[in-house]
Amino acid sequence: MKSFALIAVILTGWLLLSAVSDFPDWGDTESPANDYRLSQHYITETFPESSVPNMVTAVLADYRGYDTMFETVVIFVAGIAIMSILRRKPLDHLKDKGKETRTYKKDPDLIIDTTCRLMIPIIQLFALYVVAHGHHSPGGGFQGGVIFGASFILLALSRDLQAAQRWVPEKRVLNLAGIGILIYSGFGFACMLLGSNFLDYEILHKIMPATPVEARSHSMLGVEIGVAFTCTAIMFSIYSNLASNGDMKETL
Amino acid sequence: MIDQSPALILLAPFLLAIVLALLGIKREWLCFPLVIAGLAISVAASVVTLMRVIDEGTIQYFFGGWEPPFGINLRVDGLNALVALAVSTVSLLTAIYSKRAVPAETSDKVSQFYTLYLLSVTGLLGIVLTGDAFNLYVLIEISALTSYALIGMGSRRATLAAYKYLIMGTIGASFYLLGVGYLYIKTGSLNMYDIQEQIVANNLHSSPTIFVAFVVIMVGVWIKMAFFPLHSWLPNSYTYGPSTTSALLGPLVTKVMIYVMIRMILTVFSPEFAFDQLDWSNIVVWMSVIAILAASISALSQTSLQKMLAFLIIAEVGYMVGGVWLTDEMGMVGSIYHIIADAFMTLCVFLFAGIIFTKTGRRDLSAMEGLFTKMPLTMVGFLVGAFSLIGIPPTAGFFSKWYLIQGGISSGHYEYVAALLISSLINAVIFFRIIEIAYFGTKPAEGHGHHHNEEHKDGPKEASFSMLFPLLITAALLLGIGLYNQEVVAIITNFVSQFNIGAIIL
Repeated sequence: MKSFALIAVILTGWLLLSAVSDFPDWGDTESPANDYRLSQHYITETFPESSVPNMVTAVLADYRGYDTMFETVVIFVAGIAIMSILRRKPLDHLKDKGKETRTYKKDPDLIIDTTCRLMIPIIQLFALYVVAHGHHSPGGGFQGGVIFGASFILLALSRDLQAAQRWVPEKRVLNLAGIGILIYSGFGFACMLLGSNFLDYEILHKIMPATPVEARSHSMLGVEIGVAFTCTAIMFSIYSNLASNGDMKETL
Repeated sequence: MIDQSPALILLAPFLLAIVLALLGIKREWLCFPLVIAGLAISVAASVVTLMRVIDEGTIQYFFGGWEPPFGINLRVDGLNALVALAVSTVSLLTAIYSKRAVPAETSDKVSQFYTLYLLSVTGLLGIVLTGDAFNLYVLIEISALTSYALIGMGSRRATLAAYKYLIMGTIGASFYLLGVGYLYIKTGSLNMYDIQEQIVANNLHSSPTIFVAFVVIMVGVWIKMAFFPLHSWLPNSYTYGPSTTSALLGPLVTKVMIYVMIRMILTVFSPEFAFDQLDWSNIVVWMSVIAILAASISALSQTSLQKMLAFLIIAEVGYMVGGVWLTDEMGMVGSIYHIIADAFMTLCVFLFAGIIFTKTGRRDLSAMEGLFTKMPLTMVGFLVGAFSLIGIPPTAGFFSKWYLIQGGISSGHYEYVAALLISSLINAVIFFRIIEIAYFGTKPAEGHGHHHNEEHKDGPKEASFSMLFPLLITAALLLGIGLYNQEVVAIITNFVSQFNIGAIIL
């Protein structure tokens, strides 16, 4: 069986490599991917059409915004899937409104605790910067969301999962993730309600203090924030489910 | 509002999935009505879209208002309007069935299950409707991730089956993505029609890159549709998952992937390239013959009802792949018609299997003893599905086989015709054995195994209305699609004839 797998791998590798000589040269400006009207349009028309200086953001959140919405859904689904398979205890407690009081299992270590106390606010501030500055520099909702989620994971690592859960309990995680997608698709559905196509942000200038072109730029920031919500929540959810082996009590 | 109909097909279940994720945890009673509402809107929008396609021809819908190739579009023609209607109808019927099955099988995670269910349907509908090759990959990811979770929520063995499916499914999806990457290197575009135009304009049909892209995409899609040697993930996944999952994924996933294969061959690579230039047709038809025979014989040896049906799905995949590669217009029409017919007949028998499993808690064939007296209506529904799988007129299964056999004869692939007939005979043996057990078998002894219900009195004990209703509707639809096959085939022929497949001479 193993040798069969090896043959399959070698065959696939040979097949994929056999076309390499047919590829355009590395960095060739005449190659189809660079030369075709698609990439030319993105390079020359992005700013006039959407007033966003970073064309990667514009392609991601506007031209191909429909893809990005579903990429966010992929992250959401991954979180829900991991939760629904790993979570061993019934999720009935999510229905209760009352808060459970929990106590720390161990005393926080002085050095680790102090360092994290200093680092976590900075990490979170930087995450917000990455989300907000995605229009101008590399960044955006996915990256910012992951950084923000990492700050909660750091909190859970430095103390324990219970401490981090005080800030982001399971119920809030689920709500945040759902709200993130709701923000994204809300922009799309708002466009539909105003009489345009799904995610056609231009029409939103009717309800925004902006010109049609600026409305695209503002809406892109809006959907990036939605992406950031989902990423933050799901990052932490995946960590806490995997690290606690699905019982959400003790980590590692 | 009419203009938005193609987008609403998939956005309605999508929006309600999010609403359900936010509201459903605390209010479990909301889940079922929301699912039904979302899917009902989806079915209505599919019907409207199909009517528009018949009237106006191909419909385009531009997301974000960007015309292709700059943005992503939905492109709906006769082929995907029909498949989308089949997908949304099947998922609505399964959702009705799930009313009692889901709380019984996944009691503590009802809202999560339904969220994933709606997102899975969104993914499948998105695959069917999109006109963008990369967008198709994103939606394959969504439908695949949700199905791993939906299967994994079943029994302990389901988790292992889902893990196997995850590995195989990821390999398949990665192959598809690699293929799209290779296409992009050579064409610089991601829109399906634009890729085709670029291939023709730059005379790329002889390019090795395009060849590798085609091979890789086909292998990826074959893994995802469980084409015979690549099928190992399917049987256990559809056997041990929750019964609602099997009734949703069993009819839909493989058929949607066959749609993807047809779309890739006809729209992206063009039939001349796939059938004429590559000269693979004979090999693939022989592969499908082996697939049909091997899967049918495996089905014959199964003792578990679900597993047997899973092997029948693999055999049906062989029918459709073979029909597509016959290089014959009739074969292509038959395959597309079979996508729709097979979606409903698989749904019919999986709903039946689900009802039996909920009633008796068992998967083996002897669970069906004496069902004709206990559940006459359920058995009527099952009989229609079984007759359709065997191919007895006037069910839909008969007509699809009729077209496929016609295609096989006119293209001279008699081995394919023989495989179809042998497989029909094997199906007949399988289903008449079940009918025999259900009709002549002794009634089960009292207190057998783990019964869910109070089985203390004789006489009819039908399944609850929410389970019986979709089964009978599916049976009626099977007869309807069969009796009105000419109308359906007219739409398909109208679509297929533009590609002039018959003119390709091997």
